[in-house]
Amino acid sequence: MTYLIIGASSGLGRELAIKFAKKNYNLIIVSRDERDLIAIKSDLEIKYKINVNFISLDFFSIDEIDKKLFSKKNFLEEIQGVLFPVGTMFEQDNTMLNAVNINKLLSSNYISIVYTIQRLRKYLVNKEKSTIVGFGSVSSFLGREINSVYAGAKRALESYFESLAFDQNFKKINIQFYTLGYLDTNLSFGKDLKLPKGPIKKLSEIVYKNKNANFKKLTFPKYWKVVDLIIKLVPFSIIRKFSEILSK
Amino acid sequence: MNKQYTEERKIFSFDRTISSNIIHSEPDRYKLLEDISFKSTNIINIGSNLSYSPLGFSNKSVSINIKKFNRILEFNDAERLITVEAGLTLIELLNFTLKYNLWIPQIPGYPSITIGGAVAANSHGKSCSIHGTIRNSIKSILLFHKKHGWMKLSENENKEIFDLTIGGIGLTGTIVNVTFKLLKTKSRRFVTKKLAVNTIEECKNKILQESANSSFIYSWNMADNLKNFGKGIVYKNYVDDSMNDFKQFDECKNNFKPFFIPLWNKYSISFINFIYLKLNYLTKSKKKEDFLSVIFPFYRKENYFNFFGKKGFIESQLLIDEFKFDSFMLEFKNLFKKYEPTVTLFSLKNMSGKQELLRFEDNKICITFDYVNNSKNLLFMSKIDSLYEKYEILPSITKDSRISKEIFNKSYKNSSVFIKKLREFDKERIYQSEISRRLEI
Repeated sequence: MTYLIIGASSGLGRELAIKFAKKNYNLIIVSRDERDLIAIKSDLEIKYKINVNFISLDFFSIDEIDKKLFSKKNFLEEIQGVLFPVGTMFEQDNTMLNAVNINKLLSSNYISIVYTIQRLRKYLVNKEKSTIVGFGSVSSFLGREINSVYAGAKRALESYFESLAFDQNFKKINIQFYTLGYLDTNLSFGKDLKLPKGPIKKLSEIVYKNKNANFKKLTFPKYWKVVDLIIKLVPFSIIRKFSEILSK
Repeated sequence: MNKQYTEERKIFSFDRTISSNIIHSEPDRYKLLEDISFKSTNIINIGSNLSYSPLGFSNKSVSINIKKFNRILEFNDAERLITVEAGLTLIELLNFTLKYNLWIPQIPGYPSITIGGAVAANSHGKSCSIHGTIRNSIKSILLFHKKHGWMKLSENENKEIFDLTIGGIGLTGTIVNVTFKLLKTKSRRFVTKKLAVNTIEECKNKILQESANSSFIYSWNMADNLKNFGKGIVYKNYVDDSMNDFKQFDECKNNFKPFFIPLWNKYSISFINFIYLKLNYLTKSKKKEDFLSVIFPFYRKENYFNFFGKKGFIESQLLIDEFKFDSFMLEFKNLFKKYEPTVTLFSLKNMSGKQELLRFEDNKICITFDYVNNSKNLLFMSKIDSLYEKYEILPSITKDSRISKEIFNKSYKNSSVFIKKLREFDKERIYQSEISRRLEI
């Protein structure tokens, strides 16, 4: 059985690749830089005696997804599930971001994922216990000054995964969605975070364990669930006022 | 310097005598390694930061930690070749190669040391009298340099930089991956034999005599007072042919947490030495030992270092010709009598190799001393430093954090060759550590 992991070269994606390889699943790993993919492929094949194929592509480009991923029908026919631990962030992402970067952020964090899922459906729908796993972000809990476009894309992604759960066309496929807080990856490295980071090793174990769950929505680390609840309960005007006081 | 993917932190040398506030980064992708290097004016490479002296940091350099480059890239069982990334730890390497009865024998003393760190320090293990240093196991290296880009180094390709990089304390660029020629090993267990010795001269003679018969031979000697100076045990380890089981070693975490106050002093050292010696006398002279206890003697014994407290310690490792050993020890003892230093560890082993560039290797005897970090001991050590020229002693710059430029220049006769070649290769001297700045390398 083969799993497709989009965004496997670092952080959570790499950890998921290791986890699934340890459990003897073959993999197709996708990322931008071929050098990272070759290194991961070699390591996992040597250590766990599995088959790893890789595709290097820019995930914000639908054109590249078509040419490099969907041209490999023989690869795709093997897949049992797909995981999207993929995401792009820009330091300059705010409410005034330029159009080119808005397009890149929306594509890699939302449009490309939706497009890939639509096209992968035919490969997954007739398989027993097939899986699609998406990853959102706690930044989508509330509008924000920084990472505004990224947060919007992640909120849209969560909505799309909920839609998959309702869609009869995806009924036979297990759908899971994880809303992620701070993780111990390079994205949070060196940042002055007020809350603790969640270990990606633990998260990869949870994702692996839940892979056959029919529909699951989880928040990781769990304490973000409380933050989410507070945001939902407190009126927006109060949150806004509070934010103004903090920014002073 | 772009602050993304970097953090500021305070860091200590392993012996805790030098600390610095540094910019630290941990790239996990090739592109990120390139980007961080291109954006930094000065760089130095850091592994697990287990080198006694400050090889991996400087307050003026960005420390690039490549612990996330920890993959096995190629393995050929038949040819006994393995290519691994430099962030792989020794225990991770051995956990893989020992399944195939293969290993590199030049393993320094702690399992979480990285491959890159071991290569940059040209490390050696307990069997250095036969196997020499890690240089003997290296087939090729992939280096990344901010100006020169990606470079394949071997005896046939960029040989000069290959030679500078092994034992080059990370000054030639970032070691990204290393290909090793592995050796066969029959077992993962050892038989240890013990021999009691009464003097340091007797100990030296035993080690030299037995070096031909055993690849692992080293000593533990007392140096808490002059009366018992040199009294101790010579250990010989043999591979146990009768055992051939292999159980993966557990993931190893560094357990170095110095106690708030130092616990090593004249009385505690004398007491522990006495107990340790008696236990060695009372227990069997031959016993079976597991791989980890033999190869990594301080693993699970981290409290030895923690007992030095926050002020730390100083290790002095010296290479000396066997024919000059006795006279040196005589002078050492005279100074010992006068200054009464607090020595926590005293050990001998034999070493083979050829001293070149910055490498700590030669066909000489290797003496190791650990001292409590205090002014009395520092004064004593400075007196010992003044004997290096007379006895043609080579002190290890990766162990002793105090070594001055003057002592370095006098002891490392080939250092000018290293410095000249390094400056030709890297005119801007991009890769710099605290130690390279102090010694003006």
